[in-house]
Amino acid sequence: MGTPTTDELEKLEKQTLVDAPHEDFERSAETFVPGPYYAAAEEVMAELEAGVPTHVAGAKANPKGLDFSVDRRDFMRLFTVATAASAAACIRRPVEKAVPYVNQPIDQVPGVPTFYSSTCGSCAAGCGILVKTKEGRPVKIEGNPEHPVNQGALCGLGQAEIQGLYHPERLKTPMQRHGRRLDPVQWEDVYSILGEAVKKTSKIGIFTGGSTGHRHEFFLEVLEKVGAPKTALYTWEANSIWSDIAQAHEIAFGKAVIPRMEIKHADLLVGIGTDFLEIGVSPVAAAKSLSAFRTHHNGKTGRFVQFETNLSMTGANADKRHVIAPGSELQVALLLVRSLYEHPKVKVSGIAHTMAQSLLRTHQSELDRAYATLQIPKTEFDALATEMIQSESLMLVGGSSMFSEEATKLQLVGILGNLLLGAYEKFLFIDRGWMKSPVVPGDLERFVAEAPQLDILFVIDSDPAFTTPASWGVTGILEKIPTVVSIQSFPNDVDLVSKFALPGHHTLESWGDEEPVEGFWSMRQPVIRPTTDSRQAEDILLWILATSEKNLPYADYHAFLYKKWEAVQQFSGNLTVVYDMFFKAVLRRGFIGKLTVQTLFAQLKDFSTHLKTLRPLSTGLQLIAPLDHRFHDGRGAHLPVLQETGDAITTVTWDTWAAINPNTMTKMGLKRNQVVELSTAAGKLKVPVYPLPGLHPDVIVCPRGNGHTDARSTISNNAGLNPLGLFAKAQDPLSKEPVTALVPVKVAATTEWFRLAALQKHHDIANRKDIIKKVDLPSLKVAKKKNLDHVPDMFPKLEEGEYRWGMAIDLDKCTGCGACVAACSIENNVPQVGRDQVILGREMTWIRIDRYFYGDVNAPEVSFQPVNCQHCHHAPCEAVCPVFATTHDPEGLNAMTYNRCIGTRYCANACPYKVRRFNWWTHKWGEMGKRAQDRNPRAMNPDVTVRTRGVMEKCSLCVGRLRDAKHEAKETGRKVPDGAVQTACQQTCPSNAIVFGDLHDAQSRVSRARQDPRAYLLLGGDPENGHYGLKTLPGVSYLSEILRYGLHQPEHEQPHKE
Amino acid sequence: MWTPGDHVDDSTQSSLVSGYHPDQPIEFSHKLHAGDRKMECEYCHNGARRSPVAGIPSLNTCMGCHKFVNTDADAIKKLNEHYKKNEPFPWTLVHKLPEYVRFPHKVHVLAKDHQGQALLKCQTCHGPVEKMTTVEQWAPLQMGWCIDCHSQTKEPATPFKKATTLAPITCNTCHY
Repeated sequence: MGTPTTDELEKLEKQTLVDAPHEDFERSAETFVPGPYYAAAEEVMAELEAGVPTHVAGAKANPKGLDFSVDRRDFMRLFTVATAASAAACIRRPVEKAVPYVNQPIDQVPGVPTFYSSTCGSCAAGCGILVKTKEGRPVKIEGNPEHPVNQGALCGLGQAEIQGLYHPERLKTPMQRHGRRLDPVQWEDVYSILGEAVKKTSKIGIFTGGSTGHRHEFFLEVLEKVGAPKTALYTWEANSIWSDIAQAHEIAFGKAVIPRMEIKHADLLVGIGTDFLEIGVSPVAAAKSLSAFRTHHNGKTGRFVQFETNLSMTGANADKRHVIAPGSELQVALLLVRSLYEHPKVKVSGIAHTMAQSLLRTHQSELDRAYATLQIPKTEFDALATEMIQSESLMLVGGSSMFSEEATKLQLVGILGNLLLGAYEKFLFIDRGWMKSPVVPGDLERFVAEAPQLDILFVIDSDPAFTTPASWGVTGILEKIPTVVSIQSFPNDVDLVSKFALPGHHTLESWGDEEPVEGFWSMRQPVIRPTTDSRQAEDILLWILATSEKNLPYADYHAFLYKKWEAVQQFSGNLTVVYDMFFKAVLRRGFIGKLTVQTLFAQLKDFSTHLKTLRPLSTGLQLIAPLDHRFHDGRGAHLPVLQETGDAITTVTWDTWAAINPNTMTKMGLKRNQVVELSTAAGKLKVPVYPLPGLHPDVIVCPRGNGHTDARSTISNNAGLNPLGLFAKAQDPLSKEPVTALVPVKVAATTEWFRLAALQKHHDIANRKDIIKKVDLPSLKVAKKKNLDHVPDMFPKLEEGEYRWGMAIDLDKCTGCGACVAACSIENNVPQVGRDQVILGREMTWIRIDRYFYGDVNAPEVSFQPVNCQHCHHAPCEAVCPVFATTHDPEGLNAMTYNRCIGTRYCANACPYKVRRFNWWTHKWGEMGKRAQDRNPRAMNPDVTVRTRGVMEKCSLCVGRLRDAKHEAKETGRKVPDGAVQTACQQTCPSNAIVFGDLHDAQSRVSRARQDPRAYLLLGGDPENGHYGLKTLPGVSYLSEILRYGLHQPEHEQPHKE
Repeated sequence: MWTPGDHVDDSTQSSLVSGYHPDQPIEFSHKLHAGDRKMECEYCHNGARRSPVAGIPSLNTCMGCHKFVNTDADAIKKLNEHYKKNEPFPWTLVHKLPEYVRFPHKVHVLAKDHQGQALLKCQTCHGPVEKMTTVEQWAPLQMGWCIDCHSQTKEPATPFKKATTLAPITCNTCHY
């Protein structure tokens, strides 16, 4: 992070926009939006100490300024868990006890991890997980490599659930409301009070999140038992893409299904406002599929074209990206359908033909005009249509930036487009293994209408009070219902108005199942005994029913599942084994299934009536509130590792921002970090602005997910803002989902400032030409294999060990999702430092994802680059350490010995990659000023040293995992086979962008990647032209991005002249 | 300051930690079990060849024999009490490495010399446990003491190859 002088800062401030949209953007971001990009530490410190900038959400400024002292009360409240005795500095250590088991479980060896298979419960995608437990304590969640949904990968939210399990602010006991206070109450009293209440009424409802398993079936049984109608079960997810797609398929085919995507078999993917990589329907599965789709093999590779108004992470990964006006997605989709339909080679008959014909005729004049308003000529659509028809292609439409009145209509047009392309049953499956919708479309609307009549409402693992627009009045409705029972694994906003707040089990403590694809069942089992006095939500209901003498015939939810899974055994055809054996086998494996077949596709109906009217394009600024790819609708906001991962595009941590096109900002006279007031018909919100290239000039993007104001959650309280107050009550007329995008908005500048805690303070790559490299397909064809290790230098030859560990990162595949950051932090006990420290540039993540923009401010190319320790053969850091705390290992690792480190920070200054992290504080147990970070000792990985203040740390290439693999290999007398050891980042990467292995083995995957024509070393110059850069010879190599459309060659691609 | 390859003289430090001999809740005699009765160490410490930690035997391992053997002794009665109440037995930890050190028992126990013979015995590091009643720390367990063993020559240097050591002596062998 640069810390220029005051003069330089002043100079930067004075610079104004040069009206040159094609100006080299990368070099001079400041010229577009003047503003405090760089800041000297003293300046920021002074700012923080003065209590400015205050948070605009009305949060109080810290009157004491930046408080680094231990807040004793916070400390006591947060961490009542016993802490391990600290290491002694004296001769005789404190007497420690060694407490063995009474009866050692037969399959447990202390010190050897046990893996349990289960199913992730963070969203309804149903990814399979393996939970690594040590001595009965989960320490890491990894994707189940055999599971067909996620194939071993996991998103950041899934990784972070370890912090959710051990979160110190989970409810410890059931709570009952007395006036404004929630007081602890005994479970027996809860059951008897609610049992009595259930006895008296049948006006009972259940509101819950999405699930594809047996959960909703169980709730229906409960409702039936108490005499409530089946419609009293309300299932809702803020990610309404599920509802939209399901509703569109209900209209088109008569059944609410979601097509199972297999992008990998296609050659061309056209997205219109889609964000399948962020959340979509199954983000990890989609990323895996996209990774295979983009694999470059013999000149063949998939191409991805995206039309969007927002700059989404998905769009940033597109090979060609068209920026379109807000709200024009439907028009664009129709124009594309038109070009497809008019193409002579399209053979389509029957209903699809008549629908397309009538639709295009109805909207002929509108569509004719649209080319001009969209500023995309017809020829461009025709060319794309030709390309689509000539290759195997599919269309994906809609996402969280398109949750407007037309979301379902867009899905319908998407269906039509895919019908014309013949993509169904080729890349989109609704007949062979389709996806179930985890929610019933329109339930929220029904809830708002019906709930006021309810006497008792159970809200289970769902937070409608926070995740719905305020204008829907859900909080008011909850207040009116006499008895609201909130059962949550982490306290949320429903508790604030509920009569009872009951601690529910965390996913890792509960039983359950999911059926992500029809006929394919994934089992969830508890992997730890409850860490607090929580209960499984279903068991709470069973107890209440039992108290009211309306027993269901199950002892607990496990018994219910055990009964239901008999049918699964029948279905899956595993009849040769006894049922109990079958059940146990599934628990062991995690899933079972059989491809199911239906004939839905043949039942296509004419849906053109739903597309009779199109909303005219509105002019002026429009507001979009997409879901955050890290914590979705806010369910992950209490997990510090996610807060600190940083948004993929803006790299902002902890805060909420309003992203505006830099040109628009300049026109409005706004500066970076200036607070603006957004006002819509529904409300006002003060939010700091972030200049984001690549946005349409008329759009303002304010992500949701953050902005909790609940003091019970130290992490999420007052972190960011919730933009949902800006949306008036409106809904998609087809799916009935609330509108959270594309509403007119006014922006007024204020005099307030708020420094956003962005990880990347600038877009500048200091004009280096060897940071991000790109290659187009023709030059790739003739490119030769590389020998990156051939670097002439005068360094003494290093000792070579049995192995040389190396890593290769494919920039063409990296999507910037940040799952690696979360996985690394959990695996290596990397602390989270809080907002203030991030502003000072003291974040601790061992792997970071840099994001660079190139070219046109309005339509830049975006690159993501994960950077971890490069493990240089000639490491600058090793040479400067005065105490040999960082040394070179003969196996190519740059070893960091924490206990030798005295904290001179010379190494961090010497490191050209800026990957060394210094522990400015002992980040633990809530000592960090206002943002107390949870470092529950039980959540630590016992195989990695926990670092303390004054120590430097950095990526170790998961040396602990390496040791384990080597010990295992030693036992069998062989070398470590390729692929036997995976680093945490590699293991979780949903797009297979990272490979790791032995560079001495010429056949290992990492060696082959290092010889690939695309391979290069970071800051390694331009070896072809005799320039070898820093000659650090890193063990980590990168694979350059592929320019599939040969987009304007960035300047830095040209040969380096020296 | 120690750099890889240096010899470390621990003679001034070793007395700080070796000889630690705390009281245990019952006077468990290793001399009786491992010495007189010649029980294998790994009969009880069965994690040694499978896990980074050798493990302290669970109570049911004790009770496997002591349900029948010498049941009248006070110590056994105490064990039995705990066992009946399903209460774990709090031994006092003797061998303790700092938190920043990873020591895997498994590889050390399984280490073989070039003839395929076990390279190390438990006694190599833990001393003559079979002659102790309650265990005391015999070795200093300090880094120099570890390095002395690790840096022994495995294969001498040839004109073409540097000498190899018995075990790696890079920092991240143990510190990570």
